[in-house]
Parts: sequence; structure tokens; C-alpha cells
Amino acid sequence: MSVIDLSNLPFPGNNLRSFLDSVCETHELDFAAYAGMDPIAQTVHGFVNYPDEWQTRYVKEGFQYRDPALLLASRSIAPVDWQRLRGERTFRDIFRAASDHGISEQGLTVPVRGPYGDVGLFSVTRNCSDREWDLLKAKILGELQTAAVHLHDNVIHSHALTRKLHHPSLSAREVEILQWIAAGKSQQDVADILSISNRTVEVHLRSGRSKLGALTTPQAVGRAIGLGLIHPE
Amino acid sequence: MIIVIDGLNRQRYSRLLDEMFALRARVFGQRLGWEVDIIDGKEIDQFDALDPAYVIGLNDDGHVVSCVRALQTTGPHMLSDVFHDILDGEPPLRSATLWESTRFCVDTDILDRGNSRNSVSYATCELMAASLEYARNSGISDIVTVIDPVMNRVLKRSDCAPYGYVGSTKPMGKVSAMAALLDCSDERIAKIRAFAGIEGDMFVSDQRAYELSDDHTQTVPAPKVAAVTHNTRMRQLLAEYCDDQIAEAATIEDLDAAKDLAQMLESAGMIDTRNSSGTHG
Repeated sequence: MSVIDLSNLPFPGNNLRSFLDSVCETHELDFAAYAGMDPIAQTVHGFVNYPDEWQTRYVKEGFQYRDPALLLASRSIAPVDWQRLRGERTFRDIFRAASDHGISEQGLTVPVRGPYGDVGLFSVTRNCSDREWDLLKAKILGELQTAAVHLHDNVIHSHALTRKLHHPSLSAREVEILQWIAAGKSQQDVADILSISNRTVEVHLRSGRSKLGALTTPQAVGRAIGLGLIHPE
Repeated sequence: MIIVIDGLNRQRYSRLLDEMFALRARVFGQRLGWEVDIIDGKEIDQFDALDPAYVIGLNDDGHVVSCVRALQTTGPHMLSDVFHDILDGEPPLRSATLWESTRFCVDTDILDRGNSRNSVSYATCELMAASLEYARNSGISDIVTVIDPVMNRVLKRSDCAPYGYVGSTKPMGKVSAMAALLDCSDERIAKIRAFAGIEGDMFVSDQRAYELSDDHTQTVPAPKVAAVTHNTRMRQLLAEYCDDQIAEAATIEDLDAAKDLAQMLESAGMIDTRNSSGTHG
């Protein structure tokens, strides 16, 4: 995955914006934005790679308090395609303004729900036809989901209090599988050893990566060793 | 036909949601005997307050015949909270591309036992295929679903066997519960569709969705749910027992004995004439 791994970089800094840039570049998108609410730290994080003039105008006109892409998407578990919001008057108002800055109304928002009632909203846009958009969406939505959770978890864990509350809670199965991977076994080897299906191993690995805040399996292994969850052979 | 109700449109569908909560009360409270809270004939729990997505099956009259509830595994969900017994005390799976599905049920009172569009079998497959399509179209690749052994057998019979399980089967009410894994792949969806003969778009059109909203309830005739008498209930239980005996037969002798029993009860008029194609495989 060519998307920048946030957990390798110091926080905060320009790396959040770099992350958005790399998501856009990897997935043929124009712009990306993140807004996150942490009820424990009582903080709201927002960062975007929109043109500066649009950011200024968006905040100045208080669009964040009525943007349906934020308000409505937080009540969905599935990514909300902005086509679904076209009937909302506030959506039309905001995107009439946005189009002045070259921002398309073709976009979607991926809602992320965290364990503490924290919510993150990751939005992307691309100026293209409905048909092109549907094709792109089908191709990249899974990776956008993963990117959104990675981004959100890193923002939430950047706060000292939330980080203290966070202990990666891996199941015995997840630890067992990471231990075999660390011993050099392939996913299929692990499936054979544990007498479970390859896809069951895959789902546990994905879960283990998510809990360890890792984008790749080697990184998850490294982190699990660092935390003393597994032991190098 | 299927409608998806979520936090964005739920205020327009209180009639369908009420029918769904009533169906859940009958299935999980009465039939399965789970410890669920039922108020005013509706089963509603704390997860319904978290704006889950409901995938709901409707008959041609626009009444709820099946439903399932989906939540993200990154946030609060049932396996991370009330179903932790099933996981043997282990933490649940958590992944951006994994959803949890719970409260999967179909209305066995209003649906018949054949293979038509109004059968339990068709409604089950349609709901399963539609919920997997909805998840796939949201970028989700897998589902962890809490089911009972009967549903587990239905999945296996419908060419939709889970590829794995997490935790172990635990007693719950009159039955038991387990957590099964399903992929939202095109292959699995195609298999279920082929098994039940489901063609075309399962989801309601915008126009139909509008007609089904609360503003248009007058166009929907009142449901024709027959009162479930003790007698019909016993017939149903007896028929389910026969199905289970046949499905669970370990040897050919057991299978023959189970089939003989079913035939005997059938000719005695104690159960309805059974459709053998629903139980093979």
C-alpha cells in the first residue's frame, strides 16, 4: 500500500495532510478531508487538502455546522455517497459555493465509529461523470474504509488521555496467528496448521493489524513483538 | 424486495421499523426464547439507538417479512458487549472492512414452506444476498454474524456455508448461538441468487421507497397475519423437528428413519406436505 503510514510519523504535523495527498494520488481523487470528534479528550480535529481559499470561506461561513456531508454521514454505518444528499437544501448551498473553488459535488464520506463514542468522517471528491464515479467507487471503497479507520485511530490515539486508555486487545487466535507469521509461515501454512480456512486467517490478520494500528502484516508483527504479545523465534 | 433503513432515512419509515421490531419480538422473544426486552410487543435494545443499518425484506403488500441489523466492528457492537460469552471471553474481531450482522430473522408465520417468492426459503436467501450486496457495495469484504444452529443449517443448505467461526456455540434461550464468518464476495452472492432463483435488482426503486414511507401508509393494506393458534404452532414445531432430524442424520439408516417418520406424520395429517427440495444439500 503506497498510502503513508501515519503511525511511523511524529504527530501532529504536516503528515496528516501528506496522508490525504497520498490517498488522493493513489486512488485518482481530487481532494480529501477528515473531521474527527473525540468525546473523551473533548476535541475536534479537522484537516483537509482543499484549496486554502475554500477552507477559509468554509469556516468563515460556518458551513461545518450545517454541512450534511458531516452531519448526516455520522449517522450512517456505510459510506454516504453525496448523490444521496443532493436533495438537501444546505448541500446545494454549500456546493454552489464549493464549485467556485473547483470542488466537485461528486464525492462521498466514510463514517468511522470508534470504541469510545468517537466519530471520524473521511471525505473524498473527484470531478467526473456519475458513471466514472460509480466505477471508481467500486474499485477503491474497501481501501478508503481501511484508510479512514487508520487515519481516525491515529488522530484519536494522538491524545495522551485516549492513548492511555488504549491497550491493543488481541484475541488468543490473533496472537497465535501473528506468532506463526513471525515464525515465517505463510497465510496458507497457518490455515493448515490451525485447521481453519485461509480466509479465517485473513480476517484475524486484518483485525490484528487494525488493533495494532498497522497497515501491513510485517508492521503488525513488529509492533506485537514490541508490546511483548508475541516472541521472535 | 428489500429496503435499507439507516440513520439518514429512519424518520420516514416508522411503520416499517415498528413492524420489524414486532417481528423480532416474535422470533427472538417467543420462538427462540432469548432474554430480550419486549415493550409494547416490540423488541428494541441499546444497539438500535446507535443508528445501525437495517436491511429489511418486504412482501408485495409492503409488509416486513424479514430483517437483519448491521453495525461496524470498529465501534460498539453486540460481540464486543452482550455476546462476549460466545467468544469465550476473548476480545472481538475489529476491522474497517468487517461488519457485524445480528437479529437476522424471517417471518415463518406469514411465509409458507415451499419455494415460491412467498416462502421462508426465498425470503431467507433474498435477505442474505441483499445484505451481502449492501455490505459489498459499502467496501466491506466480510461479515461476522450471530446465528442459531437452525440458521447455520439453512446457510449450509442454501449453498452459503460460513467459511469459518469465531469462539464457540453457547446456549441461549431455547436454542444456542454462534458467530459465523461470511465473505461478501461476488461468488457467494451469485451462489445464493442461483440457489433461490433471485434475478435482477433486489432493492426497492426510489418511487417504491417513497410509497413505503410513512406519508403513504394509506396505500398499504393492513397485514393479514393469521393468529397463531396452539395447534398451528405444534404443527410447525413438529415439521421443524422432522427437518432437523433429516438434516442432522449422520448415517443412511438415520436418514431413512427420519424420512419415514416425516412421511408417517404427513400421511397422518399431523404436518403439512413437505417440500423435499428445501432440505437437501
